[in-house]
Amino acid sequence: MNGAIRASLLAAAVLLTGGSALAAGDPADRAPTPQEWSALASLPDWSGVWTPDIEDQFVKAHTNAPAWTPKVDAEMKAMAADEKAGKPHGIFLNCLPEGMPSWMLVSHNALEFLFTPGRVTLLGESDGSRLRRIYTDGRAHSPDPDPSFHGESIGHWEGDTLVVDTIAVLPETYIATGEGLGVPNDGALHVVERLHLTAPDTLHDDLEITDPKVLAAPWRTTRIYYRHRGRKNEIVEGVCLQGSFNEAVDPQGHAVFAPVAQDNGNVVPSPK
Amino acid sequence: MIRTLPALAGSLTMALCLAAPAAQAHHSFAMFDQAQTTVFRGTIKDFQWSNPHAVVWVVNEAKPAGTPDVWTIELTSPGNLTRMGWTRHALAVGDKVNVEINPLRDGQHGGSLKKITVLATGQVLTSSLIIPGKP
Repeated sequence: MNGAIRASLLAAAVLLTGGSALAAGDPADRAPTPQEWSALASLPDWSGVWTPDIEDQFVKAHTNAPAWTPKVDAEMKAMAADEKAGKPHGIFLNCLPEGMPSWMLVSHNALEFLFTPGRVTLLGESDGSRLRRIYTDGRAHSPDPDPSFHGESIGHWEGDTLVVDTIAVLPETYIATGEGLGVPNDGALHVVERLHLTAPDTLHDDLEITDPKVLAAPWRTTRIYYRHRGRKNEIVEGVCLQGSFNEAVDPQGHAVFAPVAQDNGNVVPSPK
Repeated sequence: MIRTLPALAGSLTMALCLAAPAAQAHHSFAMFDQAQTTVFRGTIKDFQWSNPHAVVWVVNEAKPAGTPDVWTIELTSPGNLTRMGWTRHALAVGDKVNVEINPLRDGQHGGSLKKITVLATGQVLTSSLIIPGKP
């Protein structure tokens, strides 16, 4: 962002917040009150572990595909043909975070929600989907947030629905419809989500994804999650890069990780 | 599972001594042919309980002795496998098993695991991208 735009955004932020964008009036500066801790009890119960409906994701890839721009549509058709031919593009092979909105769209891993005053935190099972912080303390978006994989998410509750507005996602982060199907958002991404229970153990994330650089129209879709409880369902640590190493013993007898030869992830070679 | 190297390894670099490479990056499963099922009986050579995909190496016993035919078979993540009843001790090196996989489309000896039966105990374990427990 150039200096002039930055200055004008900062000025706008100062106006919006009564002339002191970063002064004591900023919700981010306050300690939570006992009443705010108590108020958590009145939020809907999203405890437990939530796993995505993968079957529904596969169906929606065909029945509710995004309206891509013509250029991206051609690229996606080529990727889909490669996927169908068994040569998927490994858009997440580097083990960088899936980021927004792909974590919410295509992860096969579980997640959990933590409620604290002024914030909802999503913890995912893989480091491709590790952590989202959604601020619900009444703050506005930052004037010029640093882009990140998950962007800046500001939320508020409308009854039992958490509404989340996300901007400032790194342009390299994918809008994906599968683990081998997606396109970088290219820097114009805006995501609005409405997360809510539709049954005691079913949660929907209704997403509206806007990105004029790659989408011809806003894309509305829903990811479905199901709740589980009990120890066997608890989130475990899932370090993606661990798959790039073999467990081995070094000459001194220590247990160590040793790099394995990678083959772009698309072929599992037989060690004949 | 820890792969212990022979004593000879001390004078060699570790990389040279490791068993066959794995391909466990975070990838799509589209290289596996979901419409085909391959079934064979064999012996567990190794089992790696790691993210993003656990892997089991199985020696297909149909191959004549002296020409080992090792299949590299991928599973879903340890977290999702735990939800399907697996533990990291579910398979052990040397176990005789029946495996059912979706094979690699390119004909190499690998696949994604559908079902494995440990012959000594009769225990049947399944792996799927679809996580059970839909209410």
